[in-house]
Amino acid sequence: MFLARIDGMVVPAAKHATLEGCRFLVAQRIEADGSLGAEPLVIIDWFGAAHGATVLVSSDGDIARERYGNTSPGRMVVAGIVDSVQIPVSRGSVG
Amino acid sequence: MRLAYVRGHVTLSPAVPELLGLTLVVLEPVTMSNLVAKNGLGGGKTLVAVDALGAAKGQMVAFTEGAEAANPYWPNRVPVDAYCTLIVDSIKTGNAKFEEAEVAK
Repeated sequence: MFLARIDGMVVPAAKHATLEGCRFLVAQRIEADGSLGAEPLVIIDWFGAAHGATVLVSSDGDIARERYGNTSPGRMVVAGIVDSVQIPVSRGSVG
Repeated sequence: MRLAYVRGHVTLSPAVPELLGLTLVVLEPVTMSNLVAKNGLGGGKTLVAVDALGAAKGQMVAFTEGAEAANPYWPNRVPVDAYCTLIVDSIKTGNAKFEEAEVAK
């Protein structure tokens, strides 16, 4: 699982039959130092995450498989919308 | 899933029986900077994926990687680790566009 920031929404022209009606968002992975991943990710969202929101993404396909059936290629899903994240600054890395 | 441009197709001869009849596409993953710039460039490391949707050269797709990529062929066991899950029509980025897409739904 990892944290990601929502950057946009995908309008699909065609999709796998098991994922009919899904909401697909474009997100960027967030690293501990606050930087964003270079490659955008497309994730399935059930929570209605807003633009700019931080979400917890699960890259385990079991949850999608349970929801969409054994033949679904769905993998990355929004597992929750992040309320707050605390990363204490370690003494060794100050400055 | 990651986003990628379809750059071409691959045919195999011979191939393992599990891959016979599948369409293989060459994908170039898209980086965030190229996606925002809408310049048609990829920038990622090229890979090959299975495509059952009929994506054409130049189209953008989102592809699943890992064990889940073989799920569409369940319960058959196929040596597939990348699968084109959707073909992108458009991507709405930025807050206003995002809400616009939401309203349109």
